[in-house]
Amino acid sequence: MQSNKLGWILLAPTLVILFFFGVLPFLYVVFVSFHQWNPFAASPEMIFNGAENFRRIVFDDAFLNSLGVTAAFVVFAVFSELIIGYLLAQAFMKEFPGKSLFRTIHTLPLIMAPIIVGSVWKLMTTPSIGIIPHYLDEWFGITMNIGTSAPVAFMTIVIMDIWHWTPLVTLTLIAALVSLPRDPFEQAQIDGANKAQTFWHITLPMITPAVVATVFIRLMDAMRTVDEVWMLTGGGPGSSTRFLGVHIFKEVFPKTNYGYGSTISVIVLYLTIVVCWLLYVSMLAPRKNRKG
Amino acid sequence: MTRQNAPQLDTAPLTEEDNENKPTETQETQGFLPIETNAFDRCFISVVIWVAMSLFWFRFIEPTGLSIWISNVIALAIAVHIVRKG
Repeated sequence: MQSNKLGWILLAPTLVILFFFGVLPFLYVVFVSFHQWNPFAASPEMIFNGAENFRRIVFDDAFLNSLGVTAAFVVFAVFSELIIGYLLAQAFMKEFPGKSLFRTIHTLPLIMAPIIVGSVWKLMTTPSIGIIPHYLDEWFGITMNIGTSAPVAFMTIVIMDIWHWTPLVTLTLIAALVSLPRDPFEQAQIDGANKAQTFWHITLPMITPAVVATVFIRLMDAMRTVDEVWMLTGGGPGSSTRFLGVHIFKEVFPKTNYGYGSTISVIVLYLTIVVCWLLYVSMLAPRKNRKG
Repeated sequence: MTRQNAPQLDTAPLTEEDNENKPTETQETQGFLPIETNAFDRCFISVVIWVAMSLFWFRFIEPTGLSIWISNVIALAIAVHIVRKG
C-alpha cells in the first residue's frame, strides 16, 4: 500500500499536466462539436444544435473525399516506410565501409521540421526551377507538374513522407533487432531453417511489439499530417491532396467554422483510436484458449 | 552441460512479502468476445459500437424516417450485453 501511495505521488505532476493540457481540451472540443459556433460571424455566440454537425458530416462530400485520400495516403506511406525501414535496419545490422556516415546521413531528414521538409520539396518539385522535374524531363522525357496532375501530387507527398519518416522506423527496428537473443537463431540454423523461415517464425514474432508500436506512431502521425502537405500542394490540385488535417485547417481557419471543425476533429480522433485499437487487438491482445 | 552443472531453478513458494510486491492485475473475465477484456475494455468497445452505429444510422437509416433514438436504444442494449457478458 505504501508503494502505491508513493507511485501516485510521483505520477501526480504528470497527471495534473495531462489533465489540463490533454483531457480538458479534448472535453472542450467534444463540447464545441455539439454547437454551431462562428466567433467572427454577426452572431458570435455558441448555439447548441445537438447532433446536427454529426448528421451533416456523414453527407459531407468534401469530408468523405478527404477521408478516402487520407486512408490511401496512410496505407501507402506507412506500409512503404515499414518495408524500407526494415530492410535498412537489416542492412545496418551488418558491417560495411562508411556505415556510420551513411547512418548519419540517413537520419538527417528526421531532425528537420515538417514545414521545412514541405518547403524543400516544394522547391525541388516546382516546374522550371525544381531539380526533380528538370532531370525527369532531361533523362526520361517525363513532364512532372504537381500543380496540375492529381496522381503526381499525391505520389510526391507519399514519397516525401517516406523520405522524412523512414529513418524513425529504421531506428526503432534497429533497437528491436539488436535486443533479440542469439540462441533461437543459432538453433534455427542448426535445424536447417532457411532465411525466409527464420524471418517468419523467429524474427517477426519477436519484433512484433516494436513493429506495432512503430506502426501506431506513424499511423497517428500520418492521419493528422498538415504542414508538409500545406507547404507542398496546399491540398490541391482540386481536392486531390486535401487530407483530413488540411480539411480541418480550411474549415476552422479560413471559414472560422469552429463547431463543425471540432466535429471533424472528434471523428478523426475516433477513427484513429479505432484503427489503432483494431491493430492492437489483431496483433497483440491476449486471446482466449490460446495454446502454448 | 551436464545435469550436475545445470543451474538450479528457484522453486520456493512466494512469501507474503513477495505477494504484496507482485504487480496487481486487472480483473479479466471470460465472455463471448474473442479477446480477454476487463471492464474498461468492454465499456470502450460499447462506446466505439455506439458511435459507429449512430453514424451509420445518420447516413443510411434516418433518411427513411426512423429516429436516431432507436439506434441509441439498440446501442444501449448492446452496451449492457457487452459489459455484462462480453
